[in-house]
Amino acid sequence: MKTHEVKPGREYWRSLRQKEQDPAFLEVLHREFPEGASEPPDGMTRRDILTLLGASISLAGLAACRRPVHHIVPFVDPPETVIPGVPKHYATTMPFGRSACGLVVESHEGHPTKIEGNPRHPGSQGASSVRAQAAILNLYDPDRGQSLLQGGSVKKWPDFVAAWKELEKGHLADGGAGLAILSESFASPTLARLRSVLLNRFPRATWAVWEPVSDENVLAGLKEATGRDLEPQYDLGRARVILSLDADLFLLDPESIRHGRGFAAGRRAGSTGGVMNRLYSVEAAYSVTGSMADHRLRLPASRIAGFVAALARAVAVPGAPPGADGLDERGRKFLNALASDLKEARGAGLVVAGPRQPAAVHAAVAALNIALGNAGTTVFYRDPVHAALPSSASFAALKQKLDAGAVTTLVVLGGNPVYDAPADLKFGEAMAKAKERIVVGDRVDETGAAATWFIHRAHFLEAWGDARDASGTLSIVQPLILPLYDGKSDVEVLALLGSGADTPGYDVVRLTWKSILGEADFDKKWNRVLHDGLLPDSGAAPVAASASARPFGDLETLAAANGGDNGMEIVFQPSNAVHDGRFANNGWLQELPDPITKITWDNPALLSPKTAKSLGVANEDIVRLEHDGRTLELPAFIVPGQADGTVVVTLGYGRRNVGRVGRDVGFDAYRLRGSTAPWIATGAHVSRTGKQAMLASTQEHGSMEGHPLVLEGTVEEFRRKPDFAQELAEAPHEEGEATPAGHEGGHGESEKRGVTPPGLALFPEKSYDKGPQWGMTIDLNTCVGCNACVVACQSENNVPVVGKDQVRRSREMHWLRLDRYFTGDPEGDAQVVVQPLPCMQCENAPCEQVCPVAATVHDSEGLNVMVYNRCIGTRYCSNNCPYKVRHFNFYNFTKDTPEIVKLAQNPDVTVRARGVMEKCTYCTQRINEAKIDAKVSGLPLQDGDIKTACQQSCPADAITFGNLRDGNSKVAKEAASPRNYSLLAELYTRPRTTYLAKLRNPHPDLAAVVEEHG
Amino acid sequence: MAQILPPWINRLPLFAAVGGLVATVAVVGGIWYWGSPKFTDAGYRPIQPVPYSHRLHVGEMGLDCRYCHASVEVSPVANVPPTAVCMNCHKLVKRDSPLLEPIRSSAASGHPMQWVRVHKLPDYVYFNHKVHIAAGVGCVSCHGRIDEMDVVTQMQPLSMSWCLDCHRNAGPNRRPVSEVTNMKWTPPKDAKALAAKLEQERPVHPPTECSGCHR
Repeated sequence: MKTHEVKPGREYWRSLRQKEQDPAFLEVLHREFPEGASEPPDGMTRRDILTLLGASISLAGLAACRRPVHHIVPFVDPPETVIPGVPKHYATTMPFGRSACGLVVESHEGHPTKIEGNPRHPGSQGASSVRAQAAILNLYDPDRGQSLLQGGSVKKWPDFVAAWKELEKGHLADGGAGLAILSESFASPTLARLRSVLLNRFPRATWAVWEPVSDENVLAGLKEATGRDLEPQYDLGRARVILSLDADLFLLDPESIRHGRGFAAGRRAGSTGGVMNRLYSVEAAYSVTGSMADHRLRLPASRIAGFVAALARAVAVPGAPPGADGLDERGRKFLNALASDLKEARGAGLVVAGPRQPAAVHAAVAALNIALGNAGTTVFYRDPVHAALPSSASFAALKQKLDAGAVTTLVVLGGNPVYDAPADLKFGEAMAKAKERIVVGDRVDETGAAATWFIHRAHFLEAWGDARDASGTLSIVQPLILPLYDGKSDVEVLALLGSGADTPGYDVVRLTWKSILGEADFDKKWNRVLHDGLLPDSGAAPVAASASARPFGDLETLAAANGGDNGMEIVFQPSNAVHDGRFANNGWLQELPDPITKITWDNPALLSPKTAKSLGVANEDIVRLEHDGRTLELPAFIVPGQADGTVVVTLGYGRRNVGRVGRDVGFDAYRLRGSTAPWIATGAHVSRTGKQAMLASTQEHGSMEGHPLVLEGTVEEFRRKPDFAQELAEAPHEEGEATPAGHEGGHGESEKRGVTPPGLALFPEKSYDKGPQWGMTIDLNTCVGCNACVVACQSENNVPVVGKDQVRRSREMHWLRLDRYFTGDPEGDAQVVVQPLPCMQCENAPCEQVCPVAATVHDSEGLNVMVYNRCIGTRYCSNNCPYKVRHFNFYNFTKDTPEIVKLAQNPDVTVRARGVMEKCTYCTQRINEAKIDAKVSGLPLQDGDIKTACQQSCPADAITFGNLRDGNSKVAKEAASPRNYSLLAELYTRPRTTYLAKLRNPHPDLAAVVEEHG
Repeated sequence: MAQILPPWINRLPLFAAVGGLVATVAVVGGIWYWGSPKFTDAGYRPIQPVPYSHRLHVGEMGLDCRYCHASVEVSPVANVPPTAVCMNCHKLVKRDSPLLEPIRSSAASGHPMQWVRVHKLPDYVYFNHKVHIAAGVGCVSCHGRIDEMDVVTQMQPLSMSWCLDCHRNAGPNRRPVSEVTNMKWTPPKDAKALAAKLEQERPVHPPTECSGCHR
């Protein structure tokens, strides 16, 4: 392949190695396959394989002499509504802390297989998140707790009921003085009711709420600012200017889907002639939200307090604390532009701080939003209803009580405090002092192992319950399957503890809802709620908040304390994949590349290039972090765009008792985390150890050489010259060949795919002038890079998990990957652009031309079809694919899949065997299903009838799929957009997947800064 | 020098050539015939746990296919009937027949029947009954005269080329949708006219590309 000169302008790079043109990277680029991807499996020569192959062929020949007998096993007495072969869909809810994600779950013959968002739910609006998509795998986790245990021996639920009845006599006698309950935070009418029932029965009992990752600081700040308990909800769709202070609105936030939807609406406005929103981000380490920012300021997390104080002064909020801002030239320019924007966008601005920031920052943010008139338009405050608010104070108090021996019975209702409590609390030791330790958990984890009674908890797809989301909307948790192992839900356990009677969860939840829906016509209303999955318009009314007398309380001291040079700071963050550790045994999530670092199966310490240089540390060097007398050794990874002097450590890894997938993956950062500085630990010490570890990052996998791959411009440029992208994209002709990008017969009027110049086509060109012609557009302008599509694709298409070792060898199987590019100064303010990359479905597909067995061929609707059964595994196709979207099964990755995990697989998609190439098919099973339905009903297919899995999950609606020949379809319109461009168009592959160039909306005063750094 | 070998040796290359040709033809022909699904698969008639006779139930008593295979019009699978469907009648009819003991015990115990699959397609084939019914392909076309079988037998090879034969020229195998389950339906004299009429009423465009059946 000819090496193209990169056009002057922006340079994009995937890794620092590429930026520096490291010889090792160039070798990766120039190899036919990445190292390891073409070698045979370990310890086996080609000859060994041939020998084995010969043996298996002859054995296979023998085995084929008899036709295997297959049985058909019908129901005995079929359920009325089940039609074998036809999936059913039920609405339910995934509770997540005090948030809830409305879902519609697909069920095949009684077992759930795929999770989608509930279009009626105001939070999810039909989209979903990484966590929601992956939750299905947790249901079928083979390492879940499968029986109720008493001190390690298997018991039954009635045994526990009897034991509790004995136990409660003592507690009833003294009002429950020795009884303590530790729950996760929740917002659920039923759980709230059961809590008050329990506390009525045991008035002296202790109720503590612990969440290792929570918005406690946000609540505390709001209380400080307004004098009352309030919780915020943001409407990004109505915000023109958004400031994100160390917040990750689009991925880590429990309401990420709602935020993604709102933000994308504001972005889309820019490309359709409206007013595009502007996102400012101030953060220490790159978050997905920071990567979307129009302007981003790198600032150590501890100095954000000072920034907020300076901002409050700049927009002249009454009572703003005095002080110096400590910002440099660029920072001050940023601040001024931001302040003028926020003032101008009064009532349409939004300031959000991340839950990691101290309460004083949140109080100041609330004061800012109130002063700027944003409260009530873009941010709503509500009284928390039916909620258990996270409280580390209650947790610390419980710990003291345990130490004092005042707790005889401790009930841990979900959560894993032995693993994730602050290290200095030594909760495990304290817990052992309670005589009875009843733990309700999804597995015998670190906490479950310390239990006297372990109750295996039912998954939310197995249990009845209810939840409220951030807007207060009530929804029902409806089970799709009976508990696989007869587990019990929080609702059922709490109902037993509170009433002494064993009541089914269904009855408990219905009883709660009788007071919500009213007795009259209850069944009718209840069925409606079950059908819809939620009670419409049940959101709590926002309250008008006014700032208290001293909203900036401690901000001044906080800002002053962190104003100067504090040495190194350690910033803790929940994992973008496994969150606080609860998803650690989920293979999909462990193998999901982090959106920014592209690291899988690990949690290195993230450093900026400058910090790494000053420490003398390179990627994979193990560093020792010390803070407050605690140490942790873990490998380093260098990320451009991070604040200097900040070390980011990810929580949720290094689990000991979790199961076969997550055990000993990564490093347990909770051991470094204390209760005094649980998020931002200043004055830390970092040193190199000289040891090394291996990391599996996919950032260089599938690199495409030297071409402009991601295109971006500013809204201003777009307005001046709507087709700026066409100029940036290399024209599909060179050396004076006069073939402009033009139309082709039968393609619809819209496309600008290149016509192959005469004499260059190897094969007769196919015409695509009949039937639907499938195509996809991906809008880089709205894509927030949240990874939901990647997991949705994995779930829909039975994509296997391969493990860390295989990922290191570039053998990850994701059909859809997110390429992340940096641009700008690696040691300064590097920017990030994200590009989702499914199969391009090239009309002139290079893979098809080299397949010796016609295992990959084109169909008349433009799909590049992969025929697994024909594939003999030459891998020529993958070699010839310029986009590197084909993946090869080096091992029989699905052979050892436990029976129970197979239930999570999509029965409509082939499970591929070893030696077979696979790739994105635009969800051909969904296309065919829709086509068959259209044929049976006799009604023509409508635009939007077919949604690919990635498209359906996308909170930003960045992915559009449909018929390009239908000029009225959304995809045809997007393909006709002046922002539309093809990837590597100069290769004449004529991809059906095309991109819409990204737009940024810089502040005019800061544009120069962007240029300078970009 | 005396001749060591007899003169017919001179014709050995000819014999070898002819013999080799015959052997090659025999081997290729043999595999072609005995190795094809027409020989290996068609005619498969496994013993079922209960000797249910389609000849009796369908042929003589006139049960419609869809009484038992109820989901054939709405689902990819035709559905083998649940035990409860058998018991609808056999609660009253032949209550003591020893042949029906497995059905009675299944109904009593709740353990499902294990019927033996006769028509088996490979796992990577996603055949869909409902769309074939909607297109007017008769049950007989693929399953044969079930109404004449005491033991269900696979009548067609169910190979890919056999599928494609029809997908490339569906006309002769189509009939009015109302006649799909009619075992005794025969095409009218002017079969071509019917095919043309059906195609005009409801064009089917059967897929002939990989993505039609393989996913």
